Amino acid sequence: MYTCAAAGSRKGAFVPKRKGLVINDRQLDLCDDLLQKLKEVSGSTFLALISTSGQPITTASDEYHPETLSLASLAASSFAATQQLARILDENEFTLLFHEGRALNLHVTQVTEQVLLIVTFGRETQVGKVRLYTQRAVEVLRQIFEVDEDEETPAMDADFESSAGRAIDDLFQDA
Amino acid sequence: MPLINFAAREINYKIVYYGCGLCGKTTNIQFIHRKINPDARGKLVSIATEEERTLYFDFLPLTLGKVKGMQTRFHLYTVPGQSYYNASRKLVLQGVDGMIFVADSQITRLDENVESYLNLWDNLLGQGDDLSKLAFVIQMNKRDLTETFSVEDLNELLNHTGSPVVPASAVTGEGVFETLKIVCKQVIAKTA
Repeated sequence: MYTCAAAGSRKGAFVPKRKGLVINDRQLDLCDDLLQKLKEVSGSTFLALISTSGQPITTASDEYHPETLSLASLAASSFAATQQLARILDENEFTLLFHEGRALNLHVTQVTEQVLLIVTFGRETQVGKVRLYTQRAVEVLRQIFEVDEDEETPAMDADFESSAGRAIDDLFQDA
Repeated sequence: MPLINFAAREINYKIVYYGCGLCGKTTNIQFIHRKINPDARGKLVSIATEEERTLYFDFLPLTLGKVKGMQTRFHLYTVPGQSYYNASRKLVLQGVDGMIFVADSQITRLDENVESYLNLWDNLLGQGDDLSKLAFVIQMNKRDLTETFSVEDLNELLNHTGSPVVPASAVTGEGVFETLKIVCKQVIAKTA
């Protein structure tokens, strides 16, 4: 029978333990402001920052809301596959992915090793304009994340572990 | 590497089902999708061939709800099991927090199980992860069939890490949630 490992005496505190992607208030505020500006100047309809492992960080949108979790998962996988294609073709890297649709276009750009930017826009918006403003935004976003990506991921506290354990038991008990 | 968004009060963990072709990875995730509270799950996304064999991955997001004020999610993925899809498997493994190795208990599938198990560790080592931080569970699937290895024998053959083992039948659902429960608790313990 499995039992959760005890988290020790770090109750109530976030303690550095492993490298990962952690977003703090300052980063999220800066990213939200930037995405909103990018949406306005580029004429795009929906923007999302996601991790390269397929998890959404934040979005900017007025009306159009695609299913963000699925979108993040598929975009990250598609981007990862594109990078592998580059490797096979002896290209150092493909840093963006572009899909052109009948009504909607999708643009995925690498921000940092762990972060991607998704932009969707309609036919009425010029691709060149989106690329130009996206590239400028990426340079700013990169600075926001690179400051903190070198830091270690804080661990969750012991209370979180025990509460999550109970929530897991509850979620799966009637299934 | 979980994504912890303190600003948005969210934490996301990535869990991957691994194993040889036709061992039951997709069946596990489909059973979870059918049986779990619909409010706790997102859309099941499958990238499969016309013959319904996994081409790239299946994806199912589960929401645990708010834990200590943090919206907690588990993102479940499967990999394509057939040996020639290794490039795709490596991509799905990126950023993984927890692994479920689904072993096919049938005697005739031993070679495929061993090949897949070795391939998993090759790929994990290849991406340079700290494996001591990775949650890992082995599910002995297809226990409902005859002509299977005993759990003890399979454990000796496949479990070099002494990880938790769950006998299961993904078709009937036996052991499916037990496996998931163990790996979910492990990924949280590994980040605590």
